[in-house]
Amino acid sequence: MLLAKTLRSTTFRLALISIGVFGAVVIALFGYVYWSTTTFVLSRSDRVIEAEQAMLRNIYDTGGRDGVVRAIDQHKAAARLEGGVYLLANESFVPVIGNLGEWPSALRGANVWGEFKSATLVPKSGASRSLFRAKWETLPDGYHVLVGRDISDLGRFADKIYIALAFTILLIFVLAAVASVSVTRRTVGRIESINAASRTIMESGLGGRIPLRGTQDEWDYLAQNLNSMLERIEGLMAEVKQVNDNVAHDLRTPLTRMRGRLEKASIEKSTSDRDQSLINETIADLDDVLRMFSSLTRISQIEANQKIAFRIVNLIEIATAVGDLFDASAESKGGHVQVIGDKSVRISADRDLLFDAISNLVDNAIKHGGDRGIVIISVEQTDDGAVLSIADDGPGIPADELAHVFKRFYRLERSRSTPGNGLGLSLVAAVARLHGAHVALSDNRPGLKVELQFPPLDEAV
Amino acid sequence: MKDQTTYETKFMIGALRRILVIEDDAETATQIVGFLTTRGYEADLAVNGTEGLRLGESAQYAVITIDRMLPGMDGLAIIRRLREAGVSTPALIISALGEVDDRVRGLRAGGDDYLVKPFAFAELLARLEALARRSAAVVKETLLRVGDLELDLVSRTANRGGRCIKLLPREFQVLEYLVRNAGHVVPRAMLLEKIWDLHFDPKTNIIDVYVGRVRRKVDSEQAYPLIHTLRGVGFCIRAPR
Repeated sequence: MLLAKTLRSTTFRLALISIGVFGAVVIALFGYVYWSTTTFVLSRSDRVIEAEQAMLRNIYDTGGRDGVVRAIDQHKAAARLEGGVYLLANESFVPVIGNLGEWPSALRGANVWGEFKSATLVPKSGASRSLFRAKWETLPDGYHVLVGRDISDLGRFADKIYIALAFTILLIFVLAAVASVSVTRRTVGRIESINAASRTIMESGLGGRIPLRGTQDEWDYLAQNLNSMLERIEGLMAEVKQVNDNVAHDLRTPLTRMRGRLEKASIEKSTSDRDQSLINETIADLDDVLRMFSSLTRISQIEANQKIAFRIVNLIEIATAVGDLFDASAESKGGHVQVIGDKSVRISADRDLLFDAISNLVDNAIKHGGDRGIVIISVEQTDDGAVLSIADDGPGIPADELAHVFKRFYRLERSRSTPGNGLGLSLVAAVARLHGAHVALSDNRPGLKVELQFPPLDEAV
Repeated sequence: MKDQTTYETKFMIGALRRILVIEDDAETATQIVGFLTTRGYEADLAVNGTEGLRLGESAQYAVITIDRMLPGMDGLAIIRRLREAGVSTPALIISALGEVDDRVRGLRAGGDDYLVKPFAFAELLARLEALARRSAAVVKETLLRVGDLELDLVSRTANRGGRCIKLLPREFQVLEYLVRNAGHVVPRAMLLEKIWDLHFDPKTNIIDVYVGRVRRKVDSEQAYPLIHTLRGVGFCIRAPR
């Protein structure tokens, strides 16, 4: 998992590119060293060869062929140490004197310069055959003279450079690969931990923070900035919530007085029937407004994570109580509410809140499920907790609107005419979150199916 | 809607008709006291916690209503102090908070019932009277009667004028609770609390629909109706005089 992420990460790709560039530079550098060194050594030995040849030419000019024979004879003795080869041959390339057994075939005709292998002259080198580079020319009397140098050392030097180059490149690649994987892993690991912390914060509320390592590095700096951003968001949310709560709370007292006055007026014996109905309508409207405030306050209180009223409850008991209560309402539309499921499904819950949430869902199912609709509440114990589902056989919710229905005050276009304030499902969502339950909406073909998936008893906090 | 005005106040147990109202909002307090006075009660008003505590300890009241948030002293603290002082007068907590846990905390502190602002005065009265009745001896009966309606608590059956009424188990519970409080208004929230064990008022008319069904079964094709609805407040079962 982490390895796969490492290999996919941008850091790793950058590391690979830099290894490639660095490797290419190293190869070029070694290539240049090799080329310049061999060129230098070769040209130096070529100059020595040419100098010696010139010297032999001089000797010939002054002392004739005999002089050359003597000079070669003298040089031969010292040649063992310097790796020099000398050979004087007659017109048909048959050796006359020198330290080569035969005229090398590479040096005939137009090839003035040539390289050939021959039995070594230098015993310390160990190799039985050595590589020579030589130059030859024809003396005025038709004899041929050859001067050369053992260049085996140059070959060995080149081999050493090759080996060094190969080892260095291998080492660089191994080191670079290890380094880049470990650096990338650290980076990916750190990003992963920040990602994980962010996910937790998104799921469990803005109270969480990304842990710092105390290393004062750029990651800590990033985490600090993210944390202060979270703090700002949390502060803003708290302010908004505070304002909401205050509005809802402070409006209650004057509304209570208003309602009291209206009620007092309605009790007066002198009130006419017309006034009476006006008063009652106003009271009903006032109650609607107050109900909306109660719902808002209630939702924000539920979201504040109040779990003090949590007990172990039997889900089927609550479902049955809700079902009984709403059956009468469904009956008035020609349908009914049916409760099915396991006899005992225990979860940890706030009974009142759960009752409220399920009531909202069943109420919706009856309201939007159409006439003669059948609403089925089913409760089921599953391997990973408990599932309560409410299904109707009405028109359902269009797929593109499913995501919005949990928003506060959101109402489907076609439901605008029915009573309600668009807070019911927000409350359901808030209650579900408090219970660690997952809400899933699906197509019941026909109708809507809402599922509340509760965590198992031992996992619920 | 003249139903509300025809509603008759019953005398409280022991003819004790004094109620202590502890409420800091002047207008709400005046409204409550005014309403209780028109209903024939003697209402004393305390505008802060200290005064409420003094009055509560010194005089004997049938019921005390206490605002949850008071200057000087928290409503719950007053109840605790009163209980510590040996005053067992039933207390009704009135709150504008409506917090989820408020009810739990209020009842733990010794409050006997709970009402969230805003409320209908008729509901306030119904709850006050229910609290005052609470101390009355529970009569062990197996047969309950209102008019020509009979409830057999042993066989869990109901009949009216000898004709059997088919009721679901919970419908029977609702009817039994109404009959046990015959002549008194039972607030909607109280029914939800007693029958559905629901400790908050969902503020929907769902319970009206439910009682409506019970009423159809009980009252249809009968000489006179027994179950009456007080809109916005609750229900009352009573035989015609």
